Amino acid sequence: MTHDISAGERDATRPDTPSATPAPDMTVRDLSLSYGPVAVIENLDLRLPPGRVTAIVGPNGCGKSTLLAGLSRLLKPRDGTVLLDGADIQRLPSRQLAKRLALLPQQPHAPEALTVAELVRFGRHPHQSWLRQWSPEDKRIVDAALDMTGLTPLAQRPVDALSGGQRQRAWIAMAIAQQTATLLLDEPTSALDLGHQVEVYELIQSLATAGKTIVMVIHDLASACRYADHLIAMHQGRVVAEGPPGETVTPALVKRLYGVECSLMTDPATGAPLLTNVRRTRDVLDGSAT
Amino acid sequence: MSDASFTTPSAGHAMTSPVDASNAVRQDKYYLALPLGQRPPLRVIVDKRNLLANLLLLGLLLMLAGVSLNTGSAASLSLPATLRALFGEGDPLDIFVIRDLRLPRVVAGIATGGAFALAGCLMQTVARNRLATPGIVGLDNGATAFAVASVVGAGISLAPPAMALTGAAVAAALTFGLTGRIGVRGYRFLVAGIGVGAVFGALTQLMLTRVSIDAANAAYPWTVGSLNARPDHAVLSLSLALPPALLAGIWLTRSLTVLRLSDAVATGLGVAASRCRMIALGIAVVLTGLAVAVAGPVGMVALIGPEFARQLSARNTVPVVGATLAGAVVMVAADLLGRVLLAPIEIPVGIVTALIGSPLLLWILLNPNARTAP
Repeated sequence: MTHDISAGERDATRPDTPSATPAPDMTVRDLSLSYGPVAVIENLDLRLPPGRVTAIVGPNGCGKSTLLAGLSRLLKPRDGTVLLDGADIQRLPSRQLAKRLALLPQQPHAPEALTVAELVRFGRHPHQSWLRQWSPEDKRIVDAALDMTGLTPLAQRPVDALSGGQRQRAWIAMAIAQQTATLLLDEPTSALDLGHQVEVYELIQSLATAGKTIVMVIHDLASACRYADHLIAMHQGRVVAEGPPGETVTPALVKRLYGVECSLMTDPATGAPLLTNVRRTRDVLDGSAT
Repeated sequence: MSDASFTTPSAGHAMTSPVDASNAVRQDKYYLALPLGQRPPLRVIVDKRNLLANLLLLGLLLMLAGVSLNTGSAASLSLPATLRALFGEGDPLDIFVIRDLRLPRVVAGIATGGAFALAGCLMQTVARNRLATPGIVGLDNGATAFAVASVVGAGISLAPPAMALTGAAVAAALTFGLTGRIGVRGYRFLVAGIGVGAVFGALTQLMLTRVSIDAANAAYPWTVGSLNARPDHAVLSLSLALPPALLAGIWLTRSLTVLRLSDAVATGLGVAASRCRMIALGIAVVLTGLAVAVAGPVGMVALIGPEFARQLSARNTVPVVGATLAGAVVMVAADLLGRVLLAPIEIPVGIVTALIGSPLLLWILLNPNARTAP
């Protein structure tokens, strides 16, 4: 069913759908972000690999969620630009941007009694207008998004009555229905148990396989190693390491980021780096790790 | 409303999707295909329950307006005679009573009730709080203070509508200035608004104690809310402003529905959140200011009207039209009650709505099951 969605992108009825562009290029140039007077990120340059899963990791307060807010236009940069296929996202009309870039905030809250189908249909919002509120194509895309996330049997259930994993899948289904080439997720698995985490990560991987560029902020370095193609490690508002997890993650990096000692192995099943024997150093306790 | 114009997407389109999951929900909506020759055709969604609710409210409004026209101390008319007089036939005295005395009052009631409730509905939605009505955050009191200032002649020669509008805008600007942004800090916005409202309320009282008893009497209707002393130009300004405001509200409904989720989600879905919020607030300020210039601070209608509409309408929709109609219903009904209950003494409409609205306010505050989100 994953191909249903990409087939829809090429549908002749919506030739202007920018998600038909196969490889969106998201580039950050000289970006500075601040909350009020507090500078969080200064002069950051990045390029996010198209069609891949990128994970932004780092300790609490390193600026990873701030960066995601900057990438998604929730936070206006103090300086610098975020370019999507060469266009400054601050200058794109809101709806045009929303057709190209979807965002899933951290633990979003659905209004009481909103059903899964209703939530997923919100994903079509940027593609609709007052005079074009619903089309057969919208219906097909919503049905495909529900099917892809395995939520078809739950479509009429209220979102707030679902389990945590189902709820997160419903929000991802909304972002899928938005049919953007790029999807940003802020801690998509933060409140989920292991089984539901795997469920969400595998769904995210399948979206990248279908051609989407995924950028997610995650807390858990082990999951980042396992599920991301590209890792961006941040510390105190700076990118300290960047690249495929297997080449990027080293005991020295882990110590720098989190102030813990560890050994590294390669997962024989997946080839991903595995952190073992993680133990704290004295640095964590006396606070000098940062 | 022919079958040809109301069609579901599945009719006339071969749906190839194996899964028809959203079909069950679809049944509660009409998909009105617009005959504009577009391929695929333009479609507007009409929620069946909201359509029914609005028709019900409209019927109720027409009925109440009829009863209100038919009720009064001057002459007891039969309903057919009232209708004939309304259209300018029959006894000249009847025509005078109906068209020149009672009709303007009913029209003013419909316009002010609709304006207050539409303003309330917009403001509650963008603040994501049912308590955030213009009356509670001080707009009514600001408008009243300025209107009273112009009536008691505090050296200002602007007409009451312009003054009330200025007052509402000043109160809104003060509240936003004190809180930064509405919606982001829900309760802070409310508390600041209550403070601003209290200051303007005190200013109004102060002005009334400093002027002659005649001037104070002239300003009295503006302090309690009444449809008795309505300046014609104020009714005209409001009647001109309400239809475009309602259209703008209908136009905003799609964005407001998404804005209910959260700013981050709405932004991600392409809604310019702060712009949408500022437009909605601007409409609320204008409507409240102009409505206060007609009827005084009947702010409770902004709480009762949207609540009434929300009970009747489909869940998870923003009942812009429903709230406007419900506000008009509440206002005309309250005015009618105030005229009938202790006749020939008239209870000002502001007091009647306060009597209905206060228990509702307490219910919203105290009922643990009623969320404060609209």
